[in-house]
Amino acid sequence: MSTVDIATTPSGSQRSVETLVSKLRRRQVVGSRDAALETVLVLRQVVSKARFSNIDQLVAIIRSVGRRLVDAQPKEHSVGNTVRKVLHHIREEYNTASKGTAASSSKVTYTISNFVLQGQPRKQTVAPKSEAIITLKENDPDDPDSFSRALKPVLMEAIQDVLDELETVYDNVSKNAKDHIHSDEIILTIGHSRTVESFLKQAAHYRSYTVIVAETGPSYKGHEMAQSLSAAGISTFLVPDSSIYAIMSRVNKVIIGAHAILANGGMFAITGSLLAATAARVHSTPVVVCAGQFKFTPLWNLYHDFGALDFADPSSVLGFEEGSLVDNVDVLNPYYDYVGPELVDVFITNDGDHPPSSVYRLIKESYDDDDHEL
Amino acid sequence: MPPKSSSGKEKDLTDEDDVLQAVILADSFNKRFKPLTVGKPRCLLPVCNATLLDWTFESLALAGVQEIFVICRSYPELVKAAIRDSKWSKPTHGLKIVPIITSKETFTPGDAMRDIYTRGIITSDFVLVQGDLVSNVRIDEVVRLHKERRRTNKDVIMTMVVKESGTVHRTRSLGESAVFVLDAQTSECLHYESVTGYPHKKVAQIPREIFQDHPEVEVRYDLIDCGIDVCSVEVPSLFQDNFDYGDIRRDFVHGVLTSDLLMKNIHCYVLKEGYAARVADTRSYDAVSKDILARWTFPLVPDDNHPGGHSYEHLRGNKYIAKGNSVSLSRTCKVGPNTLIGAGTTVSANASIHASVIGRNCTISENVILKNVYVFDGTVVGEGSVIEESIVGENVRIGKGSRIDRGCLVGDGVVLGVNARLGPFDRVSKRKEVGGGEESDEDGDGDEDEEGEDSELEDVEALQKDVSVMIGEGSNAIVWPQGPREDDEDFDEVERYNNQRLMRLGDNCSDLGADDDDYADYDSDSDSDNESTTSMGSNAHSIASSTTSYTDPSAAIHQLQEAAANTEFQFEVQQSLERAFAEGHSVDNAAVELKTLRMASNVELRKVREAVVKAIVEKIAVREEGGAAQRAEIAKVVKRWGALIDKIGGVDAVETVEVLQYHCAQSSRLPLFGQILAALYQDDIVEEDDIRAWHITAAAKGETLKEGTTLAENVKRCWAVGAKMIEQFDEQESSEEEEEEEKPAASKGAPKKDDEDGESEEEDGSEADGDSDDDDGDDGAAPLKAAASGQTPAAPKTVAKAKEPSEEDDSDSDDSEDEDNGHDPPVSASTSKASAPATAIPAPPSATAPAKKSEEGESSEEESGDEEESGEEDESGDEEEGSEEEEEEETRAVPTPVKQPPAATVPPAATPAAPVVAPTAAAAQREDTSSEGEDEEDDDDDDEEDSDEDEEDEPGPGSTTKDSKQPPPPPPPPPGPAVPSSSTAKPPPAPKAESSEEEEESEDEDDEDEEEKTGEGTKTQTATTASVPVVPAVSTSATAQPAVPVEAKTSLDPVTESESEEDESGSGEEGDEEEESGSDDDEDEEEDEEEEDSKPTSASQPQPRDVNASKETITPVAPAAAAAKSKTSRTPSVIVSSSEPSGSGSSDVYATTSGSEEDDAEDDDDEKAEGATLSASQPKPDTLGSSVGSSRGSSTYTNETFTSRHTEDTKDTDGKSKVSSILDDIPRTTVKG
Repeated sequence: MSTVDIATTPSGSQRSVETLVSKLRRRQVVGSRDAALETVLVLRQVVSKARFSNIDQLVAIIRSVGRRLVDAQPKEHSVGNTVRKVLHHIREEYNTASKGTAASSSKVTYTISNFVLQGQPRKQTVAPKSEAIITLKENDPDDPDSFSRALKPVLMEAIQDVLDELETVYDNVSKNAKDHIHSDEIILTIGHSRTVESFLKQAAHYRSYTVIVAETGPSYKGHEMAQSLSAAGISTFLVPDSSIYAIMSRVNKVIIGAHAILANGGMFAITGSLLAATAARVHSTPVVVCAGQFKFTPLWNLYHDFGALDFADPSSVLGFEEGSLVDNVDVLNPYYDYVGPELVDVFITNDGDHPPSSVYRLIKESYDDDDHEL
Repeated sequence: MPPKSSSGKEKDLTDEDDVLQAVILADSFNKRFKPLTVGKPRCLLPVCNATLLDWTFESLALAGVQEIFVICRSYPELVKAAIRDSKWSKPTHGLKIVPIITSKETFTPGDAMRDIYTRGIITSDFVLVQGDLVSNVRIDEVVRLHKERRRTNKDVIMTMVVKESGTVHRTRSLGESAVFVLDAQTSECLHYESVTGYPHKKVAQIPREIFQDHPEVEVRYDLIDCGIDVCSVEVPSLFQDNFDYGDIRRDFVHGVLTSDLLMKNIHCYVLKEGYAARVADTRSYDAVSKDILARWTFPLVPDDNHPGGHSYEHLRGNKYIAKGNSVSLSRTCKVGPNTLIGAGTTVSANASIHASVIGRNCTISENVILKNVYVFDGTVVGEGSVIEESIVGENVRIGKGSRIDRGCLVGDGVVLGVNARLGPFDRVSKRKEVGGGEESDEDGDGDEDEEGEDSELEDVEALQKDVSVMIGEGSNAIVWPQGPREDDEDFDEVERYNNQRLMRLGDNCSDLGADDDDYADYDSDSDSDNESTTSMGSNAHSIASSTTSYTDPSAAIHQLQEAAANTEFQFEVQQSLERAFAEGHSVDNAAVELKTLRMASNVELRKVREAVVKAIVEKIAVREEGGAAQRAEIAKVVKRWGALIDKIGGVDAVETVEVLQYHCAQSSRLPLFGQILAALYQDDIVEEDDIRAWHITAAAKGETLKEGTTLAENVKRCWAVGAKMIEQFDEQESSEEEEEEEKPAASKGAPKKDDEDGESEEEDGSEADGDSDDDDGDDGAAPLKAAASGQTPAAPKTVAKAKEPSEEDDSDSDDSEDEDNGHDPPVSASTSKASAPATAIPAPPSATAPAKKSEEGESSEEESGDEEESGEEDESGDEEEGSEEEEEEETRAVPTPVKQPPAATVPPAATPAAPVVAPTAAAAQREDTSSEGEDEEDDDDDDEEDSDEDEEDEPGPGSTTKDSKQPPPPPPPPPGPAVPSSSTAKPPPAPKAESSEEEEESEDEDDEDEEEKTGEGTKTQTATTASVPVVPAVSTSATAQPAVPVEAKTSLDPVTESESEEDESGSGEEGDEEEESGSDDDEDEEEDEEEEDSKPTSASQPQPRDVNASKETITPVAPAAAAAKSKTSRTPSVIVSSSEPSGSGSSDVYATTSGSEEDDAEDDDDEKAEGATLSASQPKPDTLGSSVGSSRGSSTYTNETFTSRHTEDTKDTDGKSKVSSILDDIPRTTVKG
C-alpha cells in the first residue's frame, strides 16, 4: 500500500485525471459503461506516460489515480472496477513476462482454503500474449527506464484488452439471447438499459415475443426504451409503473439491467427494479439481469448505506416552481434501488450466466484481492 | 456553399475555442449580513460549510469557464488568500483565477464594471456573476445561445439567466424581485421593472410600443433572478459611458431597455431545469442552504460534489454527517432531517438539532436545542442553550442556558455570557479591542468600508447601556441597534429597512400591514387564472374609484410612492444644472446630462421639466430696480437656457407653462411669472396657443388646489397674469388678422365666411347666450390670438415636427383659433371674429385645409344661425352635402355651445339657432348634456362614448356617408372653460359626473379636447374637407387629439338630423344611453367595442369612431396611470393595475388581451379593442401634459387615417401604454396580438 505522491504521476496525465475527476463529480459522465470507458482511457494515458522502474511503482501510480477517481464518484462503481481490472491485467502480464517459467499465480499449493479463496482457474484467462520473452530488469540503476520501456507495450496490450471487453460487452452479453427468450413470451423490463436493449433486439432476430416496458418514473427512461424497441420491430407495450404488479401474472420473464452487481449477488438497479423484482417473486416469475462483468463490484454491505442509492434532485418529482410545497415537503428521489440476491434468478454476463450466489467467485477471479480497497 | 459553410463552421469552432471568461463581483455592495461580514467579505461566508466563493467557482467551472476575474473590494487580502489556498488555483484545475482589487471608491456594481472596463481585461463575451451564486446550471449552453444570437444581431449585448419559480417561493426574494416582460418567441427581454416588497409595488408600467412590435408578450413575475449574465464585450463600456449606472438590474438593464439611444437588446434565458440562486441576504441564505440540503442543487450536494472538498455521508432524511468518523454524536442526541454536521463536531447528549447546518469543530453541549440555525466553524454552544432561526458566526462562545431568538446574527468571535437572552433580530458583534492582534490584521486590510464599520461600531457602542442582561456576564459583545436607521430614507428603495426586513432570516413581516395582506392575496389568487381574472375585474372597479378620488393632476400617486426618489432626483438635476450654469455648458450637453439622469432615475418627464423650469427660474436674479433691467435679466437667462426645457425629451409647452406657474406660485419669483412667460413666448418656447391651452386647464386655474391656501392664491394670480396676456394676444390678433386676411389667397373666402359665421354666431349668441358672452368676456383674455397671428405658423412648426401631421396641425390650430374666435365674437365685434378666423386660415401652412375651409365656408355662408364653429365644421361637411350638412351644422351648433366652456348655458341659445335641435330647452339641455356628457362622460367614462358610438352605429348604415362628410364632430368644448361650465351649467352630466369627477373631468376634458382636435383633424382629412373645429386653443397645434365622443354623437346626429326630429330623439337617446353606458361596466364597453368592430357599417364610419374611441381610451388611461412618466404623460397608456385600486388597469389588460386575441387577424380591430377597453376602464383623460409624444402620435394618426382609413393601428405608435399587471395575481400573462 505504498502511496505515491500525486506529483510523481506525469503532469500530462494528471490533467486528464483531474478532468475526469471533475466530470465525475459534476455528473458529466454518467452510466456504468461510459464511466468505465473513460476510466480505461485515462488509465491508458497514465500508464503510457508513467515513469516507473518496478512493478510496485506502477501499481502505486495506478492505485493513486484510481483512488482519486473513486473518491470523486464513489457511487459510480464501474470506475473502481475498471481500475481493479486493469491492475489485475497488468499484474498478470507482468508475471507472465517476468517469470515465464514460474508463474506466481499458478504456483498454488492445493489446499481447500486456497481453492475457496482463489476459485477455479478460469478457462478464459487471458493467454500470455508475450510469446517473445521480454527481459525485464527491475530497478536498474543505470537505466531506470528500461523496465518501463520493456513492459509498456505489454501493459498497453493489457489495457487494450479491458477496453475491448468494454466495447464489446453488449454483443457478448446478448449473444445467447435467443437461449433465454422464447417465442410468444411476454417480457417485462424497466428503465432503459442499453444492455437489455441490445439483448432484446438480438433475441428479436430469432423469436417473436412481446415486451412490456414500465415507464419508470420519475426519469421515464422507459419511454425511450419502448420507442427503441418498437422501432426495432418488437411488439412493445408501455405501462405505468403502478401496473407492474397487476400484469405480472401474465409475464413470463422479467429482464432488467443493473447499475452495479455486488459481491453478495445483490445489485443496484434503476428505481422501480425492486418493485418489479418483488412482484416477480410473488408470481414466481424469473428475474433475469443482464450486465457486463465490469459491473461486478467487490463490495458487500452497501445495502446498509442509504446514500448509496444516490439521491438526485427532487425537481423531477416536484417542480421547483411549487414554491409553497418546496418549503414544506421533503422529496426523496433515489436513482437506484437495491435488489437483493434472493430476488434475482440469474445474471447474464459477457462471461456466461451465473446465479447470484456465484458472483463472489467471479469477482475473485476478476480482481486481485489486494485491490478491493484502492 | 459547402466549403463556405464548412469554413464557417471552423470559424465557429475557433470562436468557441476562445477562452470563456467570467467576472465575479465578489463584493455585495450592501450590508445585509452585518455583523457577520465584520472582518471578512461576504463571499467568504460559508454556506453548507463551503464558502460562497467556492460555490460560485464550482458553478462557473461547471460551465466550462476557463478564466475568472474576481473583483474584490472589501478585505481583498482575505479573498486573495482564500483563492490562493483553494483547490481552484491548482494548475490541474485548468482554471485561471485572477483576483482584481478594485478601489475603495467602488460603491456599486456599476463602479466595478467601470473598473473592469478601464483595466481592459475582457476580450470576448463573458459571464458576469455575483460572488454569491449557487448554481448547477450549464451556463455554457447559455453562452452558446448568446453567441448564436450575436452572430445575427450585434445589438444583443446581454443574456440574463432567470429561473422559473412560483410567485411565492422561499428562494425568491420578495424584497427584491422584478417583472420581466419577454417576447414569447425570442425570449428577448422587452422590459424590466424591479419590484420592491415594501412599499409593495403594485403597478408595473410597460411601454406600449412593446405590444406593437411583438405579437406575443409574456409578462412574468415568477422568475428568480439568478444573477448570471452572459455579457458582450461592450457591456463594461456601456457602464463607462453612463456614469450613473449603479445597479446592474435596476439601472443598467432598465436603462438599456428604456433608452432610445442605445438600441441594444437584452435577452433572458429562462431555466427550465437546473438550479441557480443568489445568497443575497439572510433570508436567501436560509433558503439556499435548505435548497442545497434538499438536493435541489444536485449534483452540487454535500455528499457528492461539495465545493469545499469535504465529504459527507448522506443519511436518511437528508442528514449529512461528515465522513471519517470525526463527528461524535452522542447516543441520545437527536439529529433531525435537513441537517449538516461538519467534521470534528461534537454533539453531546440530549442535544437536538433540527434543519440546521453545523460547521466544523463545533461543540454542541448537552440539552442544546438548535432549530434552523446556521453555526459556523469552531463555535461552542453552552449547555441548555436554545437557538432558533439564527446565524452564529465562527468561534463564538455561547454561555450556558442562553436563548437566542429568531433572526439573530451573531458575529465572529463573540462571547455570550451565561443565560444570555437575545431577542428577535438582535445583531451582536465582538467589541473592538484596541490594538488587538487580530484586529490589527484586519486593519491592515482596512478600507473605507471598515472605517464605516468602525464609525458604525462606535455608534453602536455608544448605545450600549444595560445590554449586559441580554448578552450575559463576561461577554465581549455589543448589540447593534434595531429598527430603521435615521438615514433610512437616504437609501435606495431596496435597501430601506422595511424592505430589507423581507430579506431577513426568520422575519415573517406579519406587521408590515398592507403588504402582508397583499401577499395573502396573491397566495390565494395564484391558484388559478380564473380567480386572478376575477380579482382583476374587481380591482377594475376599485381603480375607477381610486381615480376619482385623486385630485392632483401631476401624478400624485407616483409622488407618494417615489417621493423620496423624486426629491433625490430633483436634487441631482439641480446640481447638474448648477454645474451647467456655472461652467457654461452648451444647452445640448446639459440636455444630454439631464436625459441620462432621467433614465437612471426613471423619472417622469414632467419631473424633469419641473426641475429644469425651477432651476431656470431660480437662476434669474431678482433685480431690485425692476422693470427693464429685470426684463433684460430674464431675457438673458431664458435666451441662454430656455431651449433646454424643450430638449429634455419632449416638447410640451402647455405643461411647461403650468409647471412654471406652479413653481412661481411657490417661490419668491412669483412677480416674475408674467415676464418669464413673456420671455418664453418671445423665444418661441411657448406659443400663444400653448398659453391659451394652459389657461383653460383646471390646473392653471388652481381649481384642483385647496381653496384659501397661498399656493392656490398664487396660482390664481398667475392665471390672471396669463389671462391678461391672452387678452393682449387677442388684441394683437384682431389687428394683425385683418392684415393677414389678405395674405393667404386661398383662404380669403374662408375668412370672410368665417366672419359671417362669426357674426351670425354673435347674433345667435346675443340672442340666446347671455352667459356665453360673459364667458367670452372671461375667456376674452384667453383668446388673445393676436400675438399668435404672427406666430401661429410657428406653432405648427413646433407641433409638426413630424411633417405628416402638418395638415392636422393646421386644422387643429385652425380649430383652436376658430374656437377662440367663437368665444371672442360674442363679445367683440364682428371684426374681432373676423380677425380670428383670418388668423386661423393663415395659420395652416398647408394649403389644403384652408382651401377646404374656404370652400366650406362658402357653402356654409348661407347658414346664418350657425356659430362660427359649427359653421366651420359644417363647412367641411358642406362640401359633400350642403343642406344636410347645414342641418347637421345646426345640430352641431347645439352641442358646440355646450361644449364651449364659457357658455354652458349658451348652448341652449345655440339650439334655437339650430332648427332641429331647438325644439325644447329641455331637449337642448339634453343635447347639451349629451354632448357635454359625452365630453365629460368621455372623460369620466369612455364607455359612454362607446355606447354612443354603438348607438350611432345602429342607426348608422345611412349615416356612414354623412359621418364621413361630417368629419368634424362638434368641437369639443374648450377644455378650460368647459370645466367650469360643466360644473355649473351641466346638471345633466352631473348624474354621471361626481363632484370629484368634475375636477377630473376638467382635466380630462382638456385631454379630450386635445384628442378631439386631433380627431377632428383626422376626420377632416378623411373627409378631405378641412374643417376648422371650434375647439378652443386647448391644445397646441402640435397636439392634435381626436375627440371621439363628440364625433360619434355628431355623426349620429347628422344622420338623424336629416330627419330633424330624429336628431332630437337621437340626442336624447344618446344622452340617456351615455348615462346608462357610463354606469355600465367595462365589460359592456368592451362588448360594445367588439360589436362595433363587427358591425356592418361602412368602413368610413366605424373607422373614425374607432379611431376616436381608441384615442380617447388611450388618453384617459394615461391619467389613471397617474404614474405617467414624462414620455408617457401624453401618450396613451394602458394600465394594468395590480391588486389594489388600480384594478381597472388589470381589467384593461385582460380586455386588451382578449380583444387582441379575437381580433388577431385585424390589427385595426385590436387597437380599437385595446383602446376601447382601456377607455372603458379608465375614464380619466390625461392632463394637458405631454406635448411631444402625443403630438407625434396624433400626427401619425391623422396621416394614416388620411392615407388609409383601414389602418388605425398607428394611434399607439408613439404612445406608451402602461400595462400594470397584477403582479401578484398574474405570475404570467401571455398577450397575443
